[in-house]
Amino acid sequence: MSFDILQSVLFALLTVGIVGAAAGVVLMKRITGSALLMAFAFLCNAGMFLLLGAETVAAFQVLIYVGAITVLILYGVMFTPQQDRRYGLFFQTQTPWAALLVAPIGIFVAFFAFSFADPGKALPGGGDLVPLATSVFGDFAFPFEVASVLLLAAMIGAIVLVKRDEE
Amino acid sequence: MIPLGAFIAVSAVLFFIGVAGVLVRRNAVVILMCVELMLNATNLALVAFSRKAGMIDERGSVFVVFVFVVAAAEVAVGLAIVLSLYRNRPTVDVDEVHAMKG
Amino acid sequence: MVPGPFGLDPALWAVLRLVIAILLAVGLVFNGALAQIYLERKMQAIIQDRVGPIHTGPWGLLQTFADAIKLLGKEDIRARLTDRWFFLAAPAIVFAPMLASYVVIPFAPGIMGADLSIGLLYLTTLGSMTVLGIVIAGWASNNKYSLIGGLRSAGQLISYEVPQILSLVTVVLLVGSLSMTKIVESQQGVLVNLLFLPLAFVTYFIAGLAETNRNPFDLPEAESELVAGFLTEYSGMRWGLFFVAEYGEITVVSSILTALWLGGWSGPGVDAHPLVGPVLGVLWFTLKTYFFVLVFMWIRATLPRFRIDQLMSLCWKFLIPVTLTNLLVTASLLLAFPETKVPVAIANWLMLFAFMAAVPYFQRRRLASLRERLETRRAPALAERTS
Repeated sequence: MSFDILQSVLFALLTVGIVGAAAGVVLMKRITGSALLMAFAFLCNAGMFLLLGAETVAAFQVLIYVGAITVLILYGVMFTPQQDRRYGLFFQTQTPWAALLVAPIGIFVAFFAFSFADPGKALPGGGDLVPLATSVFGDFAFPFEVASVLLLAAMIGAIVLVKRDEE
Repeated sequence: MIPLGAFIAVSAVLFFIGVAGVLVRRNAVVILMCVELMLNATNLALVAFSRKAGMIDERGSVFVVFVFVVAAAEVAVGLAIVLSLYRNRPTVDVDEVHAMKG
Repeated sequence: MVPGPFGLDPALWAVLRLVIAILLAVGLVFNGALAQIYLERKMQAIIQDRVGPIHTGPWGLLQTFADAIKLLGKEDIRARLTDRWFFLAAPAIVFAPMLASYVVIPFAPGIMGADLSIGLLYLTTLGSMTVLGIVIAGWASNNKYSLIGGLRSAGQLISYEVPQILSLVTVVLLVGSLSMTKIVESQQGVLVNLLFLPLAFVTYFIAGLAETNRNPFDLPEAESELVAGFLTEYSGMRWGLFFVAEYGEITVVSSILTALWLGGWSGPGVDAHPLVGPVLGVLWFTLKTYFFVLVFMWIRATLPRFRIDQLMSLCWKFLIPVTLTNLLVTASLLLAFPETKVPVAIANWLMLFAFMAAVPYFQRRRLASLRERLETRRAPALAERTS
């Protein structure tokens, strides 16, 4: 059993996980189920990052998407209990348009994607922490600060939006 | 070795599943989830391209960090809007919220 | 690929190593939990002037084993209106990240699962995944106490992650690496990080207490107000899994404290001999870790529980500003004096004393303002009664 085969098998499993979970998010009727499958898709995506040798990004992906965003969305689901829709989920007006838009472009892009024949090399572990940090705090220091301002603005905005008016 | 195209193809499929979800589902929370899936697809593409030709170009990963920030901000504000909407009118169905429609 | 011993095929050895590591980690977690439950019961008993378990085995040593066997033999009850798959998945989602975090814990030189270059980041990442399991457990139980417990827990864990990570970053700044081995190796002899960064130690300790849902932050499972919170509907080994996960989490937090602030495996005799050294290293590491575990239990027996708003204001109004200031001061001092740790140490000790002085001051001021408000509200009524 060589490392190459193991990598391919892992890639196949992760692909099945990502695509299956994402399809589940769209197709599942229960919203909590969608949220959990979304977390699973995020985890599989982190696995993809590991395959690409980007372990720091993978760790951040799990920390932010699984640990924070999924929990936030679960909060949203729990605070908005749903009654069933009066009409069906599919075969509404948007569905044919969605199919028309998504299918051709999606197929075209997928074929186009395979034109990148460049083999992605397996990189030695531990390679991406230092370059990432130097880049973020060096060349990209200003955008990074702007991003923090954006986060602060979003936080204040969210608090203001959700705050109840004083009676 | 896994070709770069395979990663990009997975990313494309994930992105279009997200697009289809945004177009088909009418629940605002699910629409937010599908937007997150699309952002994740871009992350995968960015990281894959930053590994092109087997060398690390960490700028791709830097943009992934910015995408994380945007995703977090988007979910926080989006959920706040959904919650305040739900408080005024107990629904999160985007079809039923058309008070501003001309 | 590492070639295996006894001429084993490298691939086979890799698989075998994985199996051995998983078995070791599982054994470590479960036995650690058994030992800690016994320790906790005995310690509580001593503090509360009781005797604790004495009947099963010598000094009651076999009591927790008997309890574990009882849990395994219990009927697996699942209420009908619970959300089936989520209910089954939640204990696993809580347990798995805790187990996985044992990979990077540095027991002794050479005795650790993997020396990841992002070890500390990996640990915080896995710590953040626990929230998901607890929220799902609360939701799936279809019980209002469970739901409140789950939501409280989500708010608490996400909030306290911020001061926790900020305290860890202070250490990372001082050491200059995220790898657990490098962090331990940077603390030679008696010059442990506790001497340089006592304030970060205290803030991490408080945040760690909250992250593991221990007293005085055990609101999610508060027995007296929420009938055990998200654990209400669980029984038998599913409940046991949550419990083992909690004790495993305590061990992880204690070993982070040991590795980052108390020099990890370092101690007398570790460098002496290539064969005895690692064994002594494991011994020192375990002793230091269990010291912190005992402190956790001591706190449980001593302090009352917070109220949820007090918990949140402690985090957002006190811990986060303090850790942010600490980070800022440490970073600027390290930038100004890159070759010596002494200014950082002085600043950190001064800030710790300011911190300790500030707590009673704010407490007194808050009490005074509360009293004043009470007086002004009561004054008209009092005047009416006396006239």
